[in-house]
Amino acid sequence: MKDKILQTLRDLRAYALSKNVEAEFFYHEEDSYLMRFANSSISLNTNEHLIRLDITAYDGRKRASYSLITDLQKLEEMKQGVDIAAEMVKHAMPLSYQPTVPTFAESFADESGFDSTLATISNEERLAYFNEAVKGLETNDIKLSGIFSCGVNVVAQINTHSEHTQYFKTSDAQISIVLSHSTLKWEVIAEQSAQKKADLNPSVLHGDLSFLLDRYQHDAPQQIPLGKYNIVFGPAASGDLLSMMNWIGFSGGSMKRGFSFISEEQVGTKVFSDKFNLTDDATNLDTFPFQRDLTGMKRTKFPVFENGVFKSFTWDQDDADEFEAKPTGHTVMHKSLVLSGGDKNVSTLEELVNMPRENDILYIPFLHYMNIVNPSKGLVTASSRFGALLLKKDGSVVVPYNVRVTQSLLDIFGDKVAWMSKSQTINNTSQSYGARNPTAVIVPTFIKVDDLEISHSNSSY
Amino acid sequence: MQKQLQEQIDRLKKAGATYVDARWYPVEESNYLMMWNGNLKSATSSRESGVGIRALYKGAWGFSASSDVSNVGALFDKAFDNARVAAERVTFPVRLAEKESVRASFISPNRIDPFAVELADKIAFLKKLDEKMDQPGIAQRVGELIFMRKQIIYIDSEGSEIEKNIIEVFPSIQVMGVDAKGETHSRKFSPSRMGDTRGWETVNLQMFTENAERIVREMNEVVAAEECPKEDLSVILLPGIMYLQTHETIGHALELDRILGYELGFAGGSFVTLNDFGSLRYGSPKLTARADATLPNSPGSFGYDDDGVAAQDNLLIDKGILVGAITGRQMVEEANARARKQIFNGSGGANRATAFYRVPIERMTNINIDPGNDGSLDDIVKNTEKGIILDGDKSWSIGSNREQFHFATDIGWLVDDGKVTRVVKNSTYKGETVKFYNSLSAVGDKSTWEVRYVDNCGKGQPNQIMQLGHGIPVCRFDNVRIGE
Repeated sequence: MKDKILQTLRDLRAYALSKNVEAEFFYHEEDSYLMRFANSSISLNTNEHLIRLDITAYDGRKRASYSLITDLQKLEEMKQGVDIAAEMVKHAMPLSYQPTVPTFAESFADESGFDSTLATISNEERLAYFNEAVKGLETNDIKLSGIFSCGVNVVAQINTHSEHTQYFKTSDAQISIVLSHSTLKWEVIAEQSAQKKADLNPSVLHGDLSFLLDRYQHDAPQQIPLGKYNIVFGPAASGDLLSMMNWIGFSGGSMKRGFSFISEEQVGTKVFSDKFNLTDDATNLDTFPFQRDLTGMKRTKFPVFENGVFKSFTWDQDDADEFEAKPTGHTVMHKSLVLSGGDKNVSTLEELVNMPRENDILYIPFLHYMNIVNPSKGLVTASSRFGALLLKKDGSVVVPYNVRVTQSLLDIFGDKVAWMSKSQTINNTSQSYGARNPTAVIVPTFIKVDDLEISHSNSSY
Repeated sequence: MQKQLQEQIDRLKKAGATYVDARWYPVEESNYLMMWNGNLKSATSSRESGVGIRALYKGAWGFSASSDVSNVGALFDKAFDNARVAAERVTFPVRLAEKESVRASFISPNRIDPFAVELADKIAFLKKLDEKMDQPGIAQRVGELIFMRKQIIYIDSEGSEIEKNIIEVFPSIQVMGVDAKGETHSRKFSPSRMGDTRGWETVNLQMFTENAERIVREMNEVVAAEECPKEDLSVILLPGIMYLQTHETIGHALELDRILGYELGFAGGSFVTLNDFGSLRYGSPKLTARADATLPNSPGSFGYDDDGVAAQDNLLIDKGILVGAITGRQMVEEANARARKQIFNGSGGANRATAFYRVPIERMTNINIDPGNDGSLDDIVKNTEKGIILDGDKSWSIGSNREQFHFATDIGWLVDDGKVTRVVKNSTYKGETVKFYNSLSAVGDKSTWEVRYVDNCGKGQPNQIMQLGHGIPVCRFDNVRIGE
């Protein structure tokens, strides 16, 4: 199949050259499977096999794109797409800068993130995984929800500047299991990300869910008072906060457009806690990395923050062209963010709960519906969800109703960081809008931040 | 193609499927243009076609979709096989509410097909607006044009065959400015429903020019303004934010699949329970809300949903009391059975999919609030002792059961003793849904009522983006916390 894909791209390149069209071709193929659970049933069992082709035509400083969902048998349809893009670009308006069409110096293919056994996992195996992960945990009141999403992703590229191609093939799985009480309305979650079949381990999720259920089934939830708390964020919460920072923090284009809380003058200065070390690590397969970016730049480890010091904005090619910056290998569908672990020896929720503590700790595993209140301040807001716990200093544990946190990322990751766990967790942050794009960030399993304010506390779920 | 689909539907029925439908999209096109600070950053068009198959077997759904229609039989087999496996874990077998079988068609109202308009004309429109917005105090200027066209042919095993041809147009402009502290603020404009059609004719240069001048002026006022105070007072929500308040805390809260727990793994649930219908005082007696898919000329009006059920106008909240929900064929049957009473009399016709490769789920139609008797905006302001007028959807975050919320708006105007006093920046408000709607103290009359279009409502796994509408008056709520 790889040969056929690349030959199709070469045929399209030849066609574009024959028409004197300067063009880039971006091929995306997904074979996606989603088993969705709700009310302890399989509420949806679906698969989609889709091939998308994006054709971008250039004419000096003018640029226009045409995209189609197609299949490899439809070469003539794809060629018509070239004609349409070529016609569009004639009427486009010149940009104020010269857009770069990359010249691939060599062909590159990366299938290191592809695992054929994960790619061919069956319906029956997906169901068996879920059944094992929740074995004995469901009751008439406690219902199962969640997803087993998996698939194969192929990205391939060529352009008229050279005959070389780029080809990326990955397999991925994202598992999310929620147990909720049908009348009391509490919810607990356990998640897993997999790049290969061997990563799948339902017993880990069973353990996490069992521990949370034990609390939620036997303790009455409470509305906790407003005020400042020492908060421990779980991996999903930390992953979401980092994803937000990726948008309104260290993206060069966002900064230039006024959507960043970090300024150019802060490069080389301390922005966050000295415990904060963030790297875009394209060598880590668990992040479904692009080891070359879409312009052909080699990607390895790119430090963004070291000991809290801001090292560099990330620049994709188009933003770099527009703002006369040097591209940093970030013309990618997603980055491979890894936040280094700290020095705290705590790797499971059970260990966290049993840890001696001098003050109360509010554990927030998940932040629901995060949004940006003020990008210039890094101010975000979100509500806790899925199994928060108030760990009292006397060793007891309270189940709290959900709370709202409205805080600046500068505070959350600044000097208020008390510790980060040594252990790290892969947080699968894939969204299923548009084309499949498996994405994960790696974060300390737990991050403790002191003196963060709770601005709203629910009186019920 | 229709013949092939019908034959395959019949084949699956004979193989044991209790229900089968197919949605064939011969063509779906979109065109997106975006100009940022005079640069045409995006000039893209797209085209797709394909088929989605939904099969019901032993009370479980299977779905399969592909753009490759060379072997439609295999696609049906895959959907059936997916249903067969899903049937191994069923707690409440899917039943579908009765419906009429129809052969029908629907065409959205357009006078000028935007896909027939030259690209150069579209770019010229954006360029003129960009020049208009290029004024002192403006740091960033954005103009966007989104055009969509879909042809959908729906066939089901109950004898329905429906063709829909839908064109959508979503134009918008936005300006941003930077205040003395270096903080970025924004102000934007997208038109409400205008007249009886929504083709290229609604991309009206004069109207956009006037609004470009307005948002530039307001942007400069925001940049120079003081911070929004932190206090409890009356908030007067203009349609530019009231539409989103309605969307998030009435619309999503009343999707029956959310109420029944079908979105708990992702989007969340609802504070509403089946026991609440007919009794929950959702809001003050001034609040009457409806799901009206018959509203003329709105993306939330589509003739027939993707269950093949005709568009309807259903009350959701009647004078403050919860009476209805946003429903499709499956969920109403399950809700009535679980409640052991007849809450819903058939599907509300709100089951829709965003593309051929997505499965239909409960989606908002036009979730409207009826105009009230409290006069014009001026009348409401005159009758407000201490308050703030808010407009523009800057940020929104809602609790997982839609029980509480936090919104930030583009602009706020403080009101003191019945008069607008000054503009404030970084305006926010928050509240608890039921308490908030019960504090509704004024609803503007028809002069304040607008139909706002939404082009990007997200829901479901895999995620789906849907287009819809909200008919909204100006509303005032009392004792609301602002400035946090």
